[in-house]
This record gives sequence, structure tokens and C-alpha cells, in this order.
Amino acid sequence: MIPCAFDYEAPTSLEEALSLLSTRGHEAKLLAGGQSLLPLMKLRFARPRIVIDLGGISGLRGIRRDGDQIAIGALTSYSEIVESELLRSHCALLPQTAVTVGDVQVRNQGTLGGALAHADPAADMPAAIAALDANLKIVGPKGERIVKAHDFFVAMLTTNLARDEILTEIRVPRLEQTRCTYVKAAKRASGFAIVGIAVRLRTSADRVCEEIAVGLTGITDRPHRAETVESMLRGKRLDRQLIEQAALEVTRGLDVTADINGSSEYRSHLTRVHMARALHAVSGDT
Amino acid sequence: MAKYVGQSTRSKEGPRHVSGASFFTDEVRLAGMLHAVILRSPHAHARILNVNTDAALRAPGVIAAFTPQELKEKTKPFRPGRYSAGLARPIQEYAGAINKVRYFGEPVAAVAARSRAEAEDALELIEAEYEPLSPVIETSDALRPDSPPIFEELGSNRAWTGTLTYGDIEGAFKQADRIVAEKLKIHRYSSTPLEPLACVASFDAASKKLTVWVNAQVPDNIYDALRDAFGLDDVRVIIPDIGGGFGQKIHLIKNYAVLTSFLAIKSHRPVKWIEDRTEHMMAAGHSCQQEFEVEAAVKKDGTVLGLKFKEYDDVGGSVSTLTIHFTNKLNNLTNTYKVKAISMEGNSLITNKCPVIPNRGIGKPAMCFVWERMMDKIAEELNMSLIEVRSVNLVQASEMPYETPNGNIYDSGDYPGLLKRLLEKIDYDGLKKEQSEKRKEGRHLGIGVVIGVEPGGRNAARDMAVFPEMKQVPGAGGVNGATVKLEKNGTVALFLGSPNCGQSHETTSAQVTADILGISPDRISVTTPFDSDLAPWGVSAANSGNNFHLYDIGAIHGAAHKLREKILTLAGNVLATTPENLTIEDGVVFATDSTAKKITLTDLGRLAYSNQSVMPTGLEGGLHTTFYYTYPHAQPYLTPDVNRKVRAQFSFSAAAHGAVVEIDTTTGEVKVLRYVIVSDNGTIINPDVVDGQAYGSAAHGISVALGEGFVYSSDGQLLTVTLTDYGKSSALETPKFELEHYPVPSPFSALGQKAAGEGAAIPSPAAIASAVEDALKPMGVKVRELPLSPESVWRLIQDAKRNST
Repeated sequence: MIPCAFDYEAPTSLEEALSLLSTRGHEAKLLAGGQSLLPLMKLRFARPRIVIDLGGISGLRGIRRDGDQIAIGALTSYSEIVESELLRSHCALLPQTAVTVGDVQVRNQGTLGGALAHADPAADMPAAIAALDANLKIVGPKGERIVKAHDFFVAMLTTNLARDEILTEIRVPRLEQTRCTYVKAAKRASGFAIVGIAVRLRTSADRVCEEIAVGLTGITDRPHRAETVESMLRGKRLDRQLIEQAALEVTRGLDVTADINGSSEYRSHLTRVHMARALHAVSGDT
Repeated sequence: MAKYVGQSTRSKEGPRHVSGASFFTDEVRLAGMLHAVILRSPHAHARILNVNTDAALRAPGVIAAFTPQELKEKTKPFRPGRYSAGLARPIQEYAGAINKVRYFGEPVAAVAARSRAEAEDALELIEAEYEPLSPVIETSDALRPDSPPIFEELGSNRAWTGTLTYGDIEGAFKQADRIVAEKLKIHRYSSTPLEPLACVASFDAASKKLTVWVNAQVPDNIYDALRDAFGLDDVRVIIPDIGGGFGQKIHLIKNYAVLTSFLAIKSHRPVKWIEDRTEHMMAAGHSCQQEFEVEAAVKKDGTVLGLKFKEYDDVGGSVSTLTIHFTNKLNNLTNTYKVKAISMEGNSLITNKCPVIPNRGIGKPAMCFVWERMMDKIAEELNMSLIEVRSVNLVQASEMPYETPNGNIYDSGDYPGLLKRLLEKIDYDGLKKEQSEKRKEGRHLGIGVVIGVEPGGRNAARDMAVFPEMKQVPGAGGVNGATVKLEKNGTVALFLGSPNCGQSHETTSAQVTADILGISPDRISVTTPFDSDLAPWGVSAANSGNNFHLYDIGAIHGAAHKLREKILTLAGNVLATTPENLTIEDGVVFATDSTAKKITLTDLGRLAYSNQSVMPTGLEGGLHTTFYYTYPHAQPYLTPDVNRKVRAQFSFSAAAHGAVVEIDTTTGEVKVLRYVIVSDNGTIINPDVVDGQAYGSAAHGISVALGEGFVYSSDGQLLTVTLTDYGKSSALETPKFELEHYPVPSPFSALGQKAAGEGAAIPSPAAIASAVEDALKPMGVKVRELPLSPESVWRLIQDAKRNST
């Protein structure tokens, strides 16, 4: 339970971090909270030759309004997200999701950027990021690029980040008149999502769905948008029957995971059940 | 009059544990000490072709290593224990794998280095070549005639089978109005103590003395294992604070004590080995998956005339604990019921999984599960209430002491009273009404009510009932000691004969001593750690088998009374009166007829160790007494008679449990709304301590029932190697316990006390099963297996739906 020997660097600027990555990116891991990385290193599943601790780069932390968006530094902790008044009033889905992650210690140490870059298929935040259609700002030797969640998550524990790049900021829309919810079936003892569903919904006064986005986690090797569900509901008046019908389609086309926490059949069933529950809750029909 | 027994006095060990001041094995730091790590098998079943430690030995900081070949050459195999006495051919098992690996995680080799990090680095340099063999994972595969024998010498993976029959079982089935049959199963789980296994070994080559610090529950096992493995006479076993035992630290820990000592002997340095969580999950031992085919012979009124069952135990890749889960069923074989005939067939099946070991109750939770599931089934078939069918069969209070068909003697208890009080406390009738109202709203409330005995105080001869041919008799009954000393400053030192795993032994033993010596428990110092060179210990020196309350409290009681007698004799001489005329209160000895005649224990202590002139003629100097307790009522059936009747244990606590659950039938999630226990643990020494045992054991049993457990892949890889994957309930899923004491003191034990350590772990899995079945009764669901994880409950509902259409 002791990691292989590694070098430790704690750059104080992004430039310094990028410079370290440019020479040693192939054997480096970025430390951004360490709630997943350190256990993996202790089990020697992860064996980086160098750990670059991003914790000392002050510009990577914090939540601020930027026009019609909210910009969240990649090293912002779950707890900071949970407590942010700005997010609570204008992007409640993030605090709603973050508060379900792990336990208090994990939420104090773990960061949003760290979770996204780690890309654990049972992590909660990717569902919300998918549902928010967030823009992920990535900085590398060639400068900045913006990636959507859909393109960011490639496979289990794999993202489209290159070895010399750093995820620096997550930009989410500043929402008005939108209701959100995150529901999950969690593994006892750890709280990891067996199924996690993030929904944001804006309806007209007569309950017609004007805008909807559903993000899924835990169901396959990476987060997804439930596009079939979204298209069945968009522009329609949300009634109980329609919600139930749409929820049945939530896993359509997905290769649903089977593991010790649930067979593929049960996980698919749970996803449908929680999809319907999430939609009922957020549309206020029950 | 008891002043302290019966009170929740302030904990003696608690402050040390909650303030981080405990002294665990990992706290032992010796000069020049090395750190060992163990190479473990990545295969479930394989032949070991070659293990080479040359490169590892050249790595920085590495001082010693061993291979299977060296282990075989330099150590001796374990003597076959009481649980493998029935093998057709003796199997030689060493502390690590020799020619083959038989389970994922089995120790193969080890290195010791100056630091743990260097040792872990070096471990990766050990070259191990294996020839993988096809693994036998499922018990159904182990039973197949063509299943490749995991121990070739045995020719079969059914390593042992045997039957015990008590009473006229054939007659019972002939007279029955009905035969009720069922198949039942309980899964593999663990108690997951917070502290994994740990050992520090130090060998003095000059005097040939081996000293180990080890968090073992049973010093005897370590003592014998080390003496046998190395052919040594002088072995000292020191047992510091233990971070939870529950059975996990009884059996396989001896293997690790041998491996650590082997490295210490080889390197001429002290060696520390600390197991990590993943190693603990894969190789420290699991409880046994037990499958049952059960038949009950019943009368129309619900009376059970006879019970017979076949048991199939998945014992994993070792023969060392072959029958442990089977023979432990002798302890509570008839539960609280007055059945006259019972027959049990055991089958021990070797598989390529972690060997099985005791786990809070060992086979007893499964035995209680069998009885209580059968009671529910009988009630259903006879259209009786779940309560009525139990009531008809309960042993009555007036029948105590009650002899069971297999020779147990239930010392005391009021089982109908426990059940009645539980039903009142839980408001059973009100709940039934609420249940039918909720059902109209489509909600699924379930109420489970079960009852179980909790045996205490082990009889070492028990296993001879199964193996009358046993060559090395493991003893009979039990013996353990305690020492009490009045110090020269008037305080009292208490030396226990067994280790403490966190059950507040220091607190309760001080309370018992305080009452007898007329002194405050604050003036009593209980010495830890356990030290085999100093402690007055015997075969029952075991933090297992629910032994403490009987043997240790008995010994403390005896030693304190001996000391009191000696104190009064000395005081009588000093005060010029007779000892009969004296009593002790608040640390002062005084004459009952003259308050002027008095002396403090402090003054007496000073005199006893410094002033020969006041000593009565013939009285041994010092105020220091030792007492070895044996159970005075151990006959009859101390050893098995011709009918194999034997008293498996000596005291019998009992409890009725009521569980109220609500089930989300869409997801299969079970929520425990209430959990009520009415418990008879005899005379209670410390209510807080007994409550703690009940809460902890109930929490574990409920978590076991609702989903914690081990899962293997089809090729024998353990998939649940972390606590995250293992799925233990947290405090969030654990209900608040409503506990009421209903003590019926034992007429035989020193203070009327009975056991409390295994406690609620025995009936609680059955209570949850009963409640879940009750909730889903309208759907026709039958609960035959644990665990009741959300997915398994969902599957039960799906199957029931399919069957009803």
C-alpha cells in the first residue's frame, strides 16, 4: 500500500505545469485532489514517475460569473460547489450532484476538474456536466481549446486530454427558470453511482417542455446524454404517461455495464425507474 | 450487595481508544526492525513451477526473503487440528503454499527490508512461474465426480461427509402429519475488523526464544503453531490492543505469525508484518457459504417432531477448518425449541476460494436461519400465524434447566416471555393493521419476528461428537485463569488470562473485582497487553467462543474472593479480631461490631509487602492470588457419550428480534424502519457494554442480510477486495436499535451472567429474511437465500410475477 517511487513537483503557475508536462507528460499524473489517484497509486495500479500537484496554482480555483456563463476553476472542490450561492441560484444541478459525492472528507479534497479528468464511469459529476452541455477549457502547448462533454469522455478512465494538456476550467450556462435534479442508485458503503441521472428542464406555464437535457452516468463506460428521452419530450406537454413512455427508452442503444453492483438487466431497469422518477420530480407532476 | 456490577461504570479502555492512545501491534517498534511483505497468488488454482528471489534480495534495503521450497525445508507443517480430524488421509499444510496455490491471494513468498516501501518495491522483483489449473469455484462443481481434486491426495473435493443423529428421527417422520421441505443458503461474508492482521516477531538466537506481538484472539493457536513450525520450546506470545476480532483473528493468523517469525529467524532481526485491507479481504479468511436441504416433520398443531438437514459447506482451499461451520451447529442445534429428534449431515467441499474461518457466531447464524425460515414455512403450510407456530414449540421457562436431544443443557431462560415482550414492544398487532392499510396504498411493509439462543463458554471436547476417532483430544470443558494483587499503595492490579478485542474486558472485570474487594473500579488497574509468559491462561484463553463471561469472569471472581479472604485474614491479625467479623467498604476494612477497628487497604498493602511481624503464622506473604476457573457444572456430557451427546457450550443467552422493513418493489431496495431486540444475557455486569455488543452484532447481521459479502469471478478472482466493493452498510443504512433487557440469571455461573459477544449476529439475518418475505407475501415471494441485495430482491419479485402468470 505504498506507491512506487515518484518525483513530486508543485508548480505555482500554469506555464510551469505545462512546461513540466512538455518534457515528462508521458510518465506524469496531475494531482488535483487525489481522492482517486492516491488510492490507485497505493495499490500500484497507477505508477506515475512524476506527480505534478496543481494545488498551488491559484488561478485554477474558484467560481465566477462570466456573462451568461459561470466559470468554475478545475481545482474547485465539491464542497465549494455545494456551498456556492451563484451555482445554487443559477446552476443548481452542480451543487445537487456534488453533495452526493463520497463523504465530507472526499468533498473537501476532491475537485471537479480532477473528477472529470479521471473519468471514472461511476462518478457523479460527469452526468451533470453532460446535462449542462458544459464547455471544458483545455490548455496545452498549442494554446487553448474548448471541448464539449460529449467529446471529452472517450472510454473508461480515458478522456480526450493529451498528455501535455491540462483541464483548467469548466464553463456552464447561467440558467434561469430551470429546474434540475440529480438522482442515483448508489452502492452501499461508497456512494458510487450504479446509475446516476442528471436532468435540467425548462417548461412553459402550461407544462410544455421548452428545453431539456438528461445526463447519465454509471450505465456504460462513460457518461451519455439520453437523447432519445430528450427528443421524445422536447416541445411536448409533460404528462405522466409521456414521461413513463420516454423513460422506457433511456438505455436505448447503450451497452449497459454488468458488474458486481448490478447485472446489465437490473442496471437497465434501475435506469428506467430512476429516469421516470427524475422526470416526475423535476416536472413537478407528483 | 453489588455496588458496581449492573452499573454502566466509566469505561477503562475507552478513553485510550478514542484519544488515539491505544497500543496496537503496529505500534511495536524494535531496534533494527525489518518490514515484511508477502507475495500472493494471482491464480485461484495453479502448480508452482519456480519461485526465484535472487533479484529481490539484491534490491535496496532487502535483508531476507523466502521461497516455498525454503519454507518447506525449514519449517514443519501444522498438526492437523480438530476440524480436519475426519480426513481420509492427513494433509500436510504449511504456513504458505508449497507445490500448489489453492486460492487467489494465498501466500507464496515474502521479503523483508529496512522499510516497507523497499519491501514493496522488492516484492515486484520476485519471479514466480505457475502452471494454471482449472479452478473449482462453485460447490456444484466441487460435488461433480470429475471435478479435479484440489488436494490430489484426497481424490475428491468432497473432503469430508458425516452424519449425526439425535433421538428417534425415523419415528418422528413416521408420526408426522406433514413433511415441510425447503432449500436454504447463506453466503460468504466477513466481519471486516478495522485493524487487519498484524505481527512482529523477534528471535533471540542465543537463548532460542521467539517472541511475537500479534493481534490474535486465541494465544493457544499461535503458541502451538510457532512451537511446532520451528521446533522451539520457548515461545512468548504478546497480544496488544486489538482493533476488532469477531473470529477473523483466530485461525489463519497463525500462518502469518509463522511466516513473519520465519523471516525474523532467517534475518536475525525483528520483523514486522502488517496486512493491508486488500490482503485481508482476499486471504485472511471468510465465513462459509452454507447450503441446506431441510425437512421438518410436523404435527397439525405446528409441533415439530423432528428436523433433518443436509449441509454443504464451501470451505475454500484449505482443510484446516473443514468442519468448523458444521460442528458449531451443535451449539444451537435445536435453537429455542423442544424438538426431540434431529439429524444433521455435513459435507465439506473444497473449492479454490479463501479458506473459511469463524465469524461472529460461526455456523450459528446459519443454524438459526434454518430454524426460523422453517418456522415461517411451517406456519404458511399449516395456515398458522408465525407467532403461534413458534410458541407451540418453545421450551418453557418451567422446563429450565433443559436438556436438548444433542446434550446441551440450557441453564436458564424464558423464551415465551421474550417473545411476548417483543410483540408488545414492537406493537405487533398494530403493525399488522398498518401493514394491511399500507398494502391498499401499494406499499410493502414487512414484519419479521424471530428468536434464537446465544450459546456461551465453549467445551473443547465438542468436536469429538463428530470425530470420536480423534487422535489428539483437544481437551474437555475449559480452563482459564486470572490474577489479582493488592499493591502496596492500596490499589489493585488485575491480570487477565485472555486478550481483549475491544469488548471492554478491562471495565467489566474491574467492576466484578471492585464489588468483591470493596474498592472503587477507579483504584483497579487492568494490565494489558496479554503476555503468555505472565498471564494465567489455559485452553479457554480465547477471545472467541463467547468465553470471556464464563471463564474469565469466573476466574476473576474466584481470584478476587481468594484475595478478599487473604486480606481479611491479615486484617484480622492486625486488628485483633476474626476475619468473619470483618468487611470491606470503600477501601477500608472494618469490624462490623466495632467501627474503631479498621484499617485501610493502603495500610494493609504497605504492611503486607514490608512488615513480616504482622503476618499471621502460616499465611503466604504478599496479597496476590491466582484462580483458574473450570465450569463446575460441566457434567453430564462433558465428553461425548456413546450417542455422541455432548455439551457444546455451557451458558445460553437468548433474544427475540423484531424487524420492520419497507420494500421499494420497483428497485428491490429494503429499508429497515425499526429493529427491536428483547434480550436475556443473564446478570448484566455493565449495561452499556452489553448494549454495545448487541448494537454492533445486530448492525453486522443486518448488513450481512442486506448485501455485504464476497463475490468471486468464474475463474476464482475475488472481485470484492476493497471495503467499497464489499458493500458493508454504513451508519446511514443501519437502523436505530430498540433494545430491552430481560435477564434470567444462570443458576450455574459465578454471578448469573451469560454471553453477549456474538449476540444479535445470530438471529438478525433470519429476522431480516422473515421481514422481507412478510412484506412480499402478497406477491408470493419466498426468501430462501441471503443476501437480500436490491437486485436479488428485485429478482425474487420478477420470478414471483412470472410464476403467478
